[in-house]
Amino acid sequence: MKFYRIKWTLFSAAFVVLSACKPKEHKTEYSAGELDLSHFVAIGGTTTSGFMDDALYFEGQENSLGAILAQQFELVGGGTFHQPWVSTSSVGVNADNLARFILDYKTDCLNVTSLSPVRKAMTGDATIFSESLYDAAKPFGNYGIPGFYMAYAFSPAYSSQNNFFKRMASSTSATVLGDALNSTPSFFSLYVGLDEVMKYAKAGGKNESLLTASQFQALYTPILDQVTSTSTQGIVSTLPDVTEMPYFTTIPYDGLNLDEANAASLNAIYNPIGLSFVVGKNAFVIEDPSAGIFGVRQMVSGEKILLSVPLDSVKCNKMGSVFPFRDEFILTMDEQNAIKNNTVLYNEYIIAKAAEKNLALVRTDLFYQSLTSGILFNGISLNTKFVSGGAYSLDGVNLNPRGNALLANEFIKAINAKYKSNIPTVDATLFRGIIFP
Amino acid sequence: MIKHLLFIVLIFLAQEIEAQGFQVNFQGQKQQGMGGAGNALPLDAASVFFNPGSVAFLKENSVNAAFTPTFANTLFEDANTTSIGRTNSPMGTPFSAYAVYRRNEKSKFFYGLGIYTPFGSTIQYEDGWTGRFALSKLQLKSIFIQPTISYKLNDKIGFGAGFVYSTGNVNLQKDIPVQDADGTYGHAELNGKASGFGYNVGLFVQATEKLNLGVSYRSQVNMAVAEGTATFTVPSSLATNFPNGTFSSALPLPQVATLGLAYKLNEKLAFALDVNYVGWKAYDTLSFDYAQNTTSLVDTKSARNYKNTFAFRFGTNYAISTNWDARIGLAYGITPVQNGYVTPETPDANRINYTAGFGYKIGEHFHLDASIFFTHLKRTDTNLETNLSGTFTTNVLAPGLAIIYKY
Repeated sequence: MKFYRIKWTLFSAAFVVLSACKPKEHKTEYSAGELDLSHFVAIGGTTTSGFMDDALYFEGQENSLGAILAQQFELVGGGTFHQPWVSTSSVGVNADNLARFILDYKTDCLNVTSLSPVRKAMTGDATIFSESLYDAAKPFGNYGIPGFYMAYAFSPAYSSQNNFFKRMASSTSATVLGDALNSTPSFFSLYVGLDEVMKYAKAGGKNESLLTASQFQALYTPILDQVTSTSTQGIVSTLPDVTEMPYFTTIPYDGLNLDEANAASLNAIYNPIGLSFVVGKNAFVIEDPSAGIFGVRQMVSGEKILLSVPLDSVKCNKMGSVFPFRDEFILTMDEQNAIKNNTVLYNEYIIAKAAEKNLALVRTDLFYQSLTSGILFNGISLNTKFVSGGAYSLDGVNLNPRGNALLANEFIKAINAKYKSNIPTVDATLFRGIIFP
Repeated sequence: MIKHLLFIVLIFLAQEIEAQGFQVNFQGQKQQGMGGAGNALPLDAASVFFNPGSVAFLKENSVNAAFTPTFANTLFEDANTTSIGRTNSPMGTPFSAYAVYRRNEKSKFFYGLGIYTPFGSTIQYEDGWTGRFALSKLQLKSIFIQPTISYKLNDKIGFGAGFVYSTGNVNLQKDIPVQDADGTYGHAELNGKASGFGYNVGLFVQATEKLNLGVSYRSQVNMAVAEGTATFTVPSSLATNFPNGTFSSALPLPQVATLGLAYKLNEKLAFALDVNYVGWKAYDTLSFDYAQNTTSLVDTKSARNYKNTFAFRFGTNYAISTNWDARIGLAYGITPVQNGYVTPETPDANRINYTAGFGYKIGEHFHLDASIFFTHLKRTDTNLETNLSGTFTTNVLAPGLAIIYKY
């Protein structure tokens, strides 16, 4: 009996100590530092709104840049962040009345079924545009408006031009900046100018022009002046180089794969004007008014084909070969250089203004650069590859929730550095990437 | 009574062998009470493990069975976010069983058999923890079976050698960062049986009445998984990217060279000191070679870059009376895991082990030994392979019990 007792005493002692054996958490003191985060307002365009998968929809808003920031601000006394919510059941909508993308099976013209972004519904949910969500008692924090251009920041008729603003505007004559600042934000973020670049880039540079550096400055300055006249604490963001986004980098310039017969027939067509084709990989053929008298040439390495190109036409109807790609589907080297160079100039100005206004500055351009070379977060690899890269949404230009979380972390780090705050960054593993069927 | 105890031992044997950390130094209750030292102090049949050379200096034939329920809790605190992760690892059950036999007291040969678990680990993190893509569960188990022969050259010198056959199992699980419509992440489970061979040799010198010296060498054992099964749970559209199949891998269980010293101050008080040199450098890379590769499922080679390390073990045994012994010990272990390579599998750190124990002679034939072990580990690191950055804190508590039958 004696051993019995010894044994059981030992066992029960072990189990008692076991519960005391758990390591204790070390409590970090988070703080707002010099910041007043009681009312945070995020001002910006498409990227700020939570627009992703080519539509505005609830989950995207839940994971908008501002929403993620506000969630962290709440840990250090930040107030509630109101958004112009799209209903949870909505398929979402974009300016063209299309529903959001989801990843699903799609059968192409060659009868090959593969995973592809497809619209979640035949049409978008335009009913959201007839909503009127303004509530003076719950001022919005998210003044990210899809398709917002700086030129309209002070425009009283803007709600008639932008349905996304219309549903959140205080009145039909409200201006974006007037509404955004009406509630006197204690802290702001300003991330504008990207929609203008995107408009040019997504049009393949056709019939569009980029803002010159001085045009950019003339638009940016009064906006920042107006915002800082209301709120002295804030963060401004530089702009990424959009040409590295998957929308522009997914389809290879030399993706024209030819068998012997097709190579021969293309050679029959094009040899007379000096183009020749081989069995295997070839550069696609594009329209280029400056290319000789026929205005047609093959692409060169570095040139980009946009994701808007109709792939079925490429696969089955000889687009990009017999029928050259039209200019709207291509970013030539000149067009890309214009985007890159202008973006650098815009950023130089933003950086200078941040210093002048004594604001935090987030180098969003550098964040996107690091994404191009690959980011590793707690065992998850992210890069700019379409779908598999895990950071971009299915539209190839806007980030998905996980991408937004990583960008929000850059904002937080910049804020902490500027305002002596200690706001924790977010755990990006808690934000979704791409959803697979 | 005995039946009952044996029954419990068998239950633990039937379970899997688990313990925090990768190397498990629970091979003898007397030694465990003394900081894990015992190379130059032939106290019981556990010398088969500690120094086969000293087995020849044992006084009696005996059978010895011990187990050490091990409770380990790890907490991970992310350096940058508010995320934490805890383990809910099952109780570890390292065990050892030894038998030593000589024909009569004049015989110079002692024969021994040891079955013990010198390496093993089960660490299981709570669901959804932030390091899930690095690891959700790792279970390593190895059982060493060591037939041994020890020869007493003269009154001062003994040497011995044992052949080691090792058998074990590895089960590694982690999440894959692909999500289905419910937001559920993919999961990978790699499971395989492994086996290997090695040896354990030792030399024991009774230098003076009071001073013993010992040296032993346990070879590296390469645990090779020839054909493990890889099972992937992923969204159906990615099933062809992650084909279930087989894999091969290998895990080196490192060589250990030990220098031991024991000093008997008087009839009652004895001290023991062991210095281990552990050849962890062999654990350079953890590779998984899948039979069927795809663009998503590529063979992996993860750098581990362990370094060779030392451990210092010191303990003392005090004979309170003819029936009772008290033991206390300390050990200091240097981690083999270098900065940049701390993983959730083995969130290792330099450590101090605190141990105590007692022995009780029930009668002429039966002895009982008990020990208790505690250690606390803390390590802050940013892993180079995953960027997982934060602090791992681990507490390990291990009470142990042995029953010895002498004949």
